[in-house]
Amino acid sequence: MSSASVESVIEQKTVQPAWAGTDDPWEAFRQVEIITLELTQQYRHSLGKYSRFFIELANKQFYGTRCSNCERVYTPPRPLCPDCLHITGWTRLPGTGALMTYAVMHFASEVNDDVRRMSMPIILAYVLLDGSSTLFPHLLKADPQAVHTGMRVQVAYADAPVQHPIHLMHFVASEA
Amino acid sequence: MAERVPVVVGVGMTPFAANREDCTVRDLAVEAVLDCVRDAGLETLAAVQHGLTSYESDHFNRQMTLGAILHDTLGLNPTPNVRVEGGGATGALALRTAWAYLQSGLCDSMLVYGCETNGKRISAQTANQLFALSADVDWEMMVGGTYTAFYAAMMRAHMEKYGTQREHFAHVAVRNRRNAANNPIAQKPMDITVADVLNARPIAEPYTLLDCSLLSDGAAAMLLATREWAAQHSPRYAERPVVAFTGTGCGTDTMRLGDRYPHLTNFAGKRAAAQQAYRMAGISDPLAEIDVAELYDSYSGVEIQAVEDLGFVGEGEGGAAVVAGTFDHGGQLPVNPSGGLLGRGAPVGATGIAQAVEVVQQLWGAVNPARQVADARRGLTDTHAGIGSICVVNIFERQD
Ligand SMILES: [Zn+2]
Repeated sequence: MSSASVESVIEQKTVQPAWAGTDDPWEAFRQVEIITLELTQQYRHSLGKYSRFFIELANKQFYGTRCSNCERVYTPPRPLCPDCLHITGWTRLPGTGALMTYAVMHFASEVNDDVRRMSMPIILAYVLLDGSSTLFPHLLKADPQAVHTGMRVQVAYADAPVQHPIHLMHFVASEA
Repeated sequence: MAERVPVVVGVGMTPFAANREDCTVRDLAVEAVLDCVRDAGLETLAAVQHGLTSYESDHFNRQMTLGAILHDTLGLNPTPNVRVEGGGATGALALRTAWAYLQSGLCDSMLVYGCETNGKRISAQTANQLFALSADVDWEMMVGGTYTAFYAAMMRAHMEKYGTQREHFAHVAVRNRRNAANNPIAQKPMDITVADVLNARPIAEPYTLLDCSLLSDGAAAMLLATREWAAQHSPRYAERPVVAFTGTGCGTDTMRLGDRYPHLTNFAGKRAAAQQAYRMAGISDPLAEIDVAELYDSYSGVEIQAVEDLGFVGEGEGGAAVVAGTFDHGGQLPVNPSGGLLGRGAPVGATGIAQAVEVVQQLWGAVNPARQVADARRGLTDTHAGIGSICVVNIFERQD
């Protein structure tokens, strides 16, 4: 073995899978080297035609879009009504609604600092906002034992800095 | 056009495993294709007229343009290639694409091979993030959502509307892992009980760890051709029953569960895919007319939703039918004899092809007798992406 070292090498070993049996056609290729490979990407990610939703969240306002042809209201917003192929317009909603289904998550996708800061379990909620035709998916901050479908919930807005603008909001149980 | 209905010339598989660290993704594809070539009784791939590369993720495989690389590696140059991707449905969509290429007359033989490294080359956290990229990134992924949670919310709606119980889908988790014990190339056979499933660590309630399918490394291949090509080039073709690819359907649905409101319990895209495939194959009573099926059990409850959407039982009746043993080995329509995604494993680009390999081998009567379905003449595969955003149903049948 050469004295040159490779920083990324984790291990070198001989792998002999059980299924290969005694007459292994790949016998000459059983020596394996495993290295660390790191690929990272950072994007200048445009929120495109959906941007106003996120901008208004910072103003503590909740917006969906409305199709003037069929009058369906979309939350999350859709710039194009998929039923009519009409371009929609923005419409403000009160941010109150009802929980239609949910999952109690013990494991989240740690895609940003906002999620990494949370302690499990968290509740992924699908909420029918008053005035909307579709369900909005977001986290409901509540005791899982006190949650049930049909319960009234409302949008709560963040008071502290967040990393990703979707975390400018979450749901809480309605005060009323 | 009947003479162009594709027939299966050969099938090949690697064992599925959590960590095939003896292989790169291209090594896996090579193993499956070699297995397929030998199964077809071919010496080389020289007569094969077209290749089709099936894989989902550049992120998991750390390599783009696998179609070009694998044609090079397998000695297929300058044979034409096409790559197919459709999320979790990738492998089944690849076979459906081959059906169209062969029927159109663009080629008389097509080698379909799928591969993926979804196993332990990355942490479970990174794997979940990469899978979440196939959710609606700006809306579902950034709030912290996982596919387990999307499926769990859907299952909760099914439970609340139809009275489906955790014990019902735990039955699927137990049965499919037990079936895997009779499949020597399955990733994780387990002999567990319903109580084990219910008491396992919760991942996204109502789903526990044992309700969730596996992350796998692996590959699968299938050589499809016209009857004429098969008879001319494959010495094995005359030795076993002719199995034809007689039906294929595809349906789609919204990316996000919430946009399906008020229909949250089932897969509308799967329903559409099944109806197309049944029409093509002349099936009117699927429970009676299909003998074996490989269903997309990405989560245990998904199999319950699938048997309803495929029309085996009515909507809301899946849980009761599952615990009654209708879909167990020896039941009316055995499903997932291979072990399914829960027991055999799920390297994404290979999954739909592996499901078809199991069905075809069942029709040939060529699997381990312990999992062989007696007198199987017609089989179905059900495969989907996301939470049913792209659904594919393929049907194979013996024609002797
Ligand atoms: Zn409209």
